[in-house]
Amino acid sequence: MNLLKISSAGIRGIVGRGLSVEMAIRFAQAFATYLDGEPLAVGRDSRPSGPMLRSAVLAGALACGNRVVDLGILPTPTLQSQLPRLGLGGAVVIAAGHNPARWNALEFLAADGSYLTARQGEELLEIYEHGEFAAAAWDGIQPLERDDSAIDRHLELILDWCRADAIRDRRFTVAVDCCNGTCTLLSPRLLEALGCRVVALNDDLSRTFPHDPDPRPENMSQLQALVKAAGADIGFAHDGEGERLGIVDETGRALDLEYTFALACLIGLEGGRCRGPVVTNLSTSRMAREVARRHGVTLERTRIGQAHVAERAAQIGADLAGEGSGQVFFPGLHPGADGIAAMAFFLEHLAASGETVSQLVEKLPRFHRVVSNLAFPPNRIFRKLQRFRDQVGEPGEEAAMDSTDGVRLSFPDGWLHVRASSTESVLRVMAEAESEGRARELSRRALEAIAE
Amino acid sequence: MKPIQTLKVSVSGIRAVVGDTLDPELVCRFCRAFATYLGPGTLVLGRDTRTSGEMVSHAAVAGLLASGMRVVDVGVCPVPTIQLAVRNLRARGGIALTASHNPAEWNALKFIKRDGCFLNPYEASELLALYHQREFRTSGPQPPPLETYPGAVQDHLDRILEKLAPAREPPLTVAVDCCNGAGAVMSPLLLERLGCRAVELNCRPDGRFPRPPEPVPAHLGPLCALVTESGADLGFAQDADADRLAVVSEEGVAIGEEYTLAMCTRLALSRQPGPVVVNLSTSRMIEAVAEDFGCPVHRSPIGEVHVTETMRRVGAVIGGEGNGGVIHPGVNLARDSFVAMTMILELMRSTGQPVSRLVSALPGYRMEKLVLRVHPHRVSGLIGALADRYRGERINREDGLKIEREDGWIHLRPSNTEPILRLVVEASDDGTFQAYREEFERAIRELTP
Repeated sequence: MNLLKISSAGIRGIVGRGLSVEMAIRFAQAFATYLDGEPLAVGRDSRPSGPMLRSAVLAGALACGNRVVDLGILPTPTLQSQLPRLGLGGAVVIAAGHNPARWNALEFLAADGSYLTARQGEELLEIYEHGEFAAAAWDGIQPLERDDSAIDRHLELILDWCRADAIRDRRFTVAVDCCNGTCTLLSPRLLEALGCRVVALNDDLSRTFPHDPDPRPENMSQLQALVKAAGADIGFAHDGEGERLGIVDETGRALDLEYTFALACLIGLEGGRCRGPVVTNLSTSRMAREVARRHGVTLERTRIGQAHVAERAAQIGADLAGEGSGQVFFPGLHPGADGIAAMAFFLEHLAASGETVSQLVEKLPRFHRVVSNLAFPPNRIFRKLQRFRDQVGEPGEEAAMDSTDGVRLSFPDGWLHVRASSTESVLRVMAEAESEGRARELSRRALEAIAE
Repeated sequence: MKPIQTLKVSVSGIRAVVGDTLDPELVCRFCRAFATYLGPGTLVLGRDTRTSGEMVSHAAVAGLLASGMRVVDVGVCPVPTIQLAVRNLRARGGIALTASHNPAEWNALKFIKRDGCFLNPYEASELLALYHQREFRTSGPQPPPLETYPGAVQDHLDRILEKLAPAREPPLTVAVDCCNGAGAVMSPLLLERLGCRAVELNCRPDGRFPRPPEPVPAHLGPLCALVTESGADLGFAQDADADRLAVVSEEGVAIGEEYTLAMCTRLALSRQPGPVVVNLSTSRMIEAVAEDFGCPVHRSPIGEVHVTETMRRVGAVIGGEGNGGVIHPGVNLARDSFVAMTMILELMRSTGQPVSRLVSALPGYRMEKLVLRVHPHRVSGLIGALADRYRGERINREDGLKIEREDGWIHLRPSNTEPILRLVVEASDDGTFQAYREEFERAIRELTP
C-alpha cells in the first residue's frame, strides 16, 4: 500500500512508496510560486532520505527564481524561531518528527515561523493541483545561499528567555536521548550552558535512528537505564526534529507523553510564568484541563496538529499551548512547538521550587485512557467514521459532540474521540475517564458502533 | 502548446530553454530513466558554469538518488574532465549538465557511459524508451549517499601532462578567452603547468557569457585585440563546456576553428603515424596533412560519439571534429580543448614556428558554415529531394547529404542541438566556393516547399 497524505499541512509519506522526488519538486515549485518571488529557507532533519528530498526541493524552488537560503540540518523549532530574523517569506521543512525513519514529509512555514494555516495550506494545495508554476529565465535564477547561524541564535534566545542563573546554581544532572536526530546539534549544548552535567545518548547525526523517534515510554528504555545509572534529576527524550519531548522522572520511570504538556501547564500556571488562556487539541488528556480549572484559566481545544493549535493560540493571545503528543508551545518565544526550550522551562521550575519530577507528577489528577487503532483500507476509513457519527446521532443532554476533527463526545466524567490518523490508515478510538471501567465502557461503545 | 524548437531530444542528450521547457521535474525524470538504464552503482555528475546549473544539478541529484545511484558530484568542470572522472572513479556512468556552445538560456543533459563516451543513438533511444515508460527503479526510504569529489580537474591535468609529455620551454605568452565557462576553472592552471604566462579574458566561471559561446572568428574580436595588445604568442578561445578550441595567431588573426584539428593532427602523426577519424563536415585540410604522413582518414557522422566509435573501430591515433574538437585516444576518447592547447603549444615549440607559419603550411581552402531556417518537419523531405537531383554525383547520406566533387564539397544536415539546417561549403578557391554556394542555395530554395 502506498502511504501518502497530501493535505493543507503538506505532504507526508513513506519515501519511494508514495512520497516521490517528483512530488517534492512540484510542491517546492508550488510553494515558491505561492510566495510570489519572496525568498525562502530550506531546512531538514537527519533522516536518510533528507539529502535527496533537499535536492528536489532546492531544484523546484530555485527554478521559480526565488532566493533560496539553505539552513542545513536543524531542529524545526530552531528554524521557526529564526525565520523572522532572517527576513524570509517562508520556509520548507523536510522532516517527519516522530515518524519512523522510512517516512519523510514536506511542511511549510509562513514568514513569522508558524506553520501555514489550514486556509493558507489550501491555497498552496490549489497551486500544486493546478500545476502552473513560476519559472525563472536563465538570468533570473539565483545562486543558492547558506546560513549556519540559526542554531547559535536559537540557543541564545532560550538562554535569555529562561532564568539561566537559577538553573546553573542547581548543577542538575540531566540525561538526554537525541535519537541521533537534529536535537543532537542543540540540546546537549543548551544543557551544558545551563550548568548541567549532561549524559547524552544517541547524539551522533551520522547514525540512523536507534529506535522509533516518537518519545513514548516504549521507546525510552535506554534513557530510563541511563537516568538510573547516572542518578540524573530528569531524563529528556526528543523526536527527530525537536518538537516532541518525552520525560523520565528521577526514579527512572518513563512518563506517558500526555504528561509533558500537563506538567508544563502545572508549572506555568503555578509558577506564574503563564497567565492563560491555554490551548490544546481535542485528544489531549483532561489533566491539563483540570490544572487550568484549578487556576481559573480557560482551556480551548482545537483540531489535532501544530498548525491548528498554534493558530488558535495566536488568535486568543495564549502564552502556553500544547498537544498530548509531547509538544509544548511558548508563543512568546516563537510560534512553534519547542522541545528544546521546554527542557529549560522544566529545569527552571525544578530549580525554583526544589521539587522533584515525581513530586510534580503527584500533583496532577489521574485519568485512565484506552486507545485502540482499527486498521482499515484508506477508502473505508471515512465511511466507518461517517457511520459512527450517524450511530451517535444526537448525543442528548448527557454529552457534547464536537465534529471538527472526527467525532468527539464529551461527558462530565470523561470523553470519547474517534478520528482518522494523519499518518497511518487507521481509525483511532480514544477514551479517557476518571475510572478505568468507565474508560473501557466508552471505548467499547465506539468499537461496537463502528463494527456494526 | 510550446514551440517545439525549445526542447530537443536527440543523440546528444536533451536540450531545453531555462524557464520554458527545462523544468526541474523533466530533468529529474530523465535522470531516473538514466539511473534505471545503468543499474545500481556510482554516477559522476558535473556541470558547466551556466546560471541554471545549480538548479539543474539538484534536480538531477534528486532523481539519481531516488533511483538508486550513488552520486559523486564533481561540481563545475569542463565536459572532458567529467568524462575522464567517470573512468577514473570507476563509475557506471556520468551526466554532464551543459549545453556546450548553445546560448546561456539553454541547458542540457549529456549522458556518459562507463568508458567516458557519450551514448550512441541506439543507446540513447533505449534511454528514451525508459523515460517514456516511466517505470523507474526506486531506492526507497534509504537512498544511496551524495558525495562530492573536488579532484577531477587535478586528475585531468595530471593525465594530459603524463600522456602527452609536452615540453615546457621556451616560455610563451598565451591570451586565453574562456567565455566565463567551465574552461575558466582549468585553463589558467594548465597554461601555468605548460610554462606559459596566461593573459586572461572572460575567466570568471559565472555563466554570464560575454560573447556567444561558439569559438568562431566572428565572436573572437576582443581576444584578437588582446593578443595584439599584450604581445602574446597566440590566443586560445574555448566554448562554454571547454570541449572545443579555436586559435588566434600572433598577428591577432582568428585563424578559424578548422585549423585546430589540422594542427593537432600534424603533431600527432609526426609522433605516431596511424589512422585519423574526422566527421563529414571537417575540412579537407585533414586529408592533406594525413597524406604527408601516408595515413588514412576515416569520416563519420557528426557528433562526438560517432567519431569516438569510429576511432575505436579503426584504432585511430587522432581524431575529432572540424569545429575545434580534438580527440587524443591516449588521454581519453573525448573532445578536449586542453589536449588541443597542449598539442598546439607542443607543435609550436617542436617546430619553432609561430601560428601564422603553421597556418600557411596548410592548404588554404575556403570554407563557410551557413545556417538555414527550415521548418523541422520539412528537413528530411528537402534532403531527399536534393539527393535525388544530384544522384549522379558522389553522394554520402550517412548524416544528411554530402556531395563531393574534385575541387570542393557541400554538406547539408539538420543540427543535433538546434532547430536549424547547417550547410557547409568548402572549395579550393574563392571562385569555386562562390559558384558552389550559389548553386546549392538556389537548389535548396527551389526544393523548399
